[in-house]
Amino acid sequence: MTAVQAPAAARPTPVKRGPLRATARLLRLELRRNAMLWMLPVAIGLFWFTAYRKAVAIPPLWNLRAASMQIGALLAFVCPVVGAAAWMGSRESRRHTTDLVTITARPRWVRQLATWAATTCWAIVGYLGCVAALYGVTAQQAAWGGPLWWPAAVAAASLPALSALGFAAGTLIPSRFTPPVATVAAFFVLALSTQLIVGSQSYWQISPVVTGPWDMTPDAGVGTFYPYLPDLPIAQVMFLTGLTIAVLGAVALPGGSGGGWLRRPAAAVTMAGLVAAGTAVALAGTGTMDAHGMIAIPALHDAANDRPLRYTPVCSHTAIPVCLNPAYASYLPTAATALAPVLSEVAGLHGAPVRISQAAATYRQGIGNSVGIGLPGPPISGTPPVFRLLLPSQLPGPTMTTSELAAAVRSSAGFALVASVIGDNAGATRAQQAVTAALSMSAGLPQSSPAAPTRQRPNATVPLPAPVQSAARRFAALPASARHSWLMQHLAALRAGRIALAQLP
Amino acid sequence: MTAGTARKVPAAAPDREARLAWPPRAGMRLLRLYAASRRVPVAIGAIAACAVGLRIALTGHWDSYGALQLPLVFEAGAAAAITITTASPLGEPERVTGRWLPFLRLATTLALTAAAAGALTAAGIGAHLAGGTVDVLRNLAGMTGIGLLCAAALGGRLAWIGPTGYLVVGAYGLYTQWHGPALTTPWIWPARPPHDVGAEMCAALVFTIGIVITSVRGAHDPAGE
Repeated sequence: MTAVQAPAAARPTPVKRGPLRATARLLRLELRRNAMLWMLPVAIGLFWFTAYRKAVAIPPLWNLRAASMQIGALLAFVCPVVGAAAWMGSRESRRHTTDLVTITARPRWVRQLATWAATTCWAIVGYLGCVAALYGVTAQQAAWGGPLWWPAAVAAASLPALSALGFAAGTLIPSRFTPPVATVAAFFVLALSTQLIVGSQSYWQISPVVTGPWDMTPDAGVGTFYPYLPDLPIAQVMFLTGLTIAVLGAVALPGGSGGGWLRRPAAAVTMAGLVAAGTAVALAGTGTMDAHGMIAIPALHDAANDRPLRYTPVCSHTAIPVCLNPAYASYLPTAATALAPVLSEVAGLHGAPVRISQAAATYRQGIGNSVGIGLPGPPISGTPPVFRLLLPSQLPGPTMTTSELAAAVRSSAGFALVASVIGDNAGATRAQQAVTAALSMSAGLPQSSPAAPTRQRPNATVPLPAPVQSAARRFAALPASARHSWLMQHLAALRAGRIALAQLP
Repeated sequence: MTAGTARKVPAAAPDREARLAWPPRAGMRLLRLYAASRRVPVAIGAIAACAVGLRIALTGHWDSYGALQLPLVFEAGAAAAITITTASPLGEPERVTGRWLPFLRLATTLALTAAAAGALTAAGIGAHLAGGTVDVLRNLAGMTGIGLLCAAALGGRLAWIGPTGYLVVGAYGLYTQWHGPALTTPWIWPARPPHDVGAEMCAALVFTIGIVITSVRGAHDPAGE
């Protein structure tokens, strides 16, 4: 047997990996073995059931859907994210590998950060998919405007914070009961903390489920005529980022997470996070509801956001054009059809508006959480006169069907238009009341005047006296051309109160 | 085998008698060991914490949403605590040798559910507990059933996914009672009135199926857990 001269085996050289590559590999491993991946179907299913279905059922207005999405996505993701993070946080204890991994080269905190990051990554991937689906559908349906990113950003910033809270709970109290307790507690805090909000100046508005004045459901008029104010979202993102940093820093504080060299910077990081979160809470407490229905925080407010948005209105081809904000273009046929009989009655009369123009609502904070929404000033103003219209969908209330919307437009704006042209206000004469009732009758409107025409709401109606009703029926029985020509001649006198009830034809 | 050994078979009878005449102390010890292995004392503590939390929360002022959703949150917490006790740390050896396991599982789940219903109801005494006792019993039983089904499918330690996920669905169902269209299916029983028969039947059915499956087969214990 002869010895074969083979080259000596080379000594294995240690593989040199940069810290970034090692971190990326650790993150990849955690991504592959993360519970959040398996919780994604639950989170997406909850989002579909509670947020997506609800959002697509409301009118395709970006402001409505974005605000609805922010609240719905948060409540859908809170349980899966917190639960999965707590489950991952207690993994080493559950699998009895704490001692085994303690002897590895990297500090425990670094490994924990990788686990938290992987959990957060999967949560954000799932969330972004949900946002993309909802915003994609809205982009196809919306007539005007573009996606509102601040609501999406607030919900996105909430996920790392929720994940960090769950992860910290699982790490610090590794028990089989920790994930459900953390999950239920997080849901409780997120869903029910808003009960503590009173008025628009509340520290609790820092809660990421708050999109505007609380107890005012997402309103169609907010963020359409004026820019969507980022003041509150900025404070919320700041709070959530600070909270995330503070919680992750706190995870490194207990012994065993790293040496003293790690605990000192971790304590500093925790303090920095707490300061940021506390500052954000203080800022949120200074917020007030502005006239456009959004929370303005003086320290974060940009005056440029107080300027109205520019748009080219969409108008109907009726006797008097009805012009709406293009975001509400889908309402135009209904509104124009509903108002057409009234417009035919008043078109061409002295003092009649040259245009019906949709206006921005004005918001006033009431007692507690109540908010008053309406038009400031008379409905007809300007030269040439323009009738300012508030669509029923700009006011609080349930979503209306097309026929309900048409009826609401007729009974509110239709009556207000007739009353404004005839001058039927609080001190109106009986002749004015009779003519208003007659025109309303002819146009198919309610028979009596609303108590507060400037609000354009069909409030409590006042029954007219019998002589007024009789005169109204007589005037309404005239041919439309006769009515119109009489009004052309006598409207100025009628508005001035110089025509008596008996003088009506 | 010899004839002599074959004749020894009847000698098993005294052993069976001995087993039937099981001393109560041994039974109590088995119960205690079973409860300890399932963390039943911790679960009882969690249920008590839920009841105390509900009691404290009920002292506050809540609007209609909060008043209705509040009990549901604590019911979900109690249901999750009950279902987590289905997780076994012993696995296969216990399943092979534990003759009394189905009865122990059944008794533990029923006892904990009854304790949770009693504790949550007691927490509402003297305060406005939306839905009352019937609502508590129905929601708790239904969510416990969902958790037990989750335990059978995913494992006892992950059984909390069912009640906590259903908590979101139930809270949304209650929300739709104000902001329609309202969800009226009896399968979302928290959104139904307290004496709705369909909702009660659905909750009872889920609870029955869940408790039968987990009593007979036990929770699904993945390898390595």
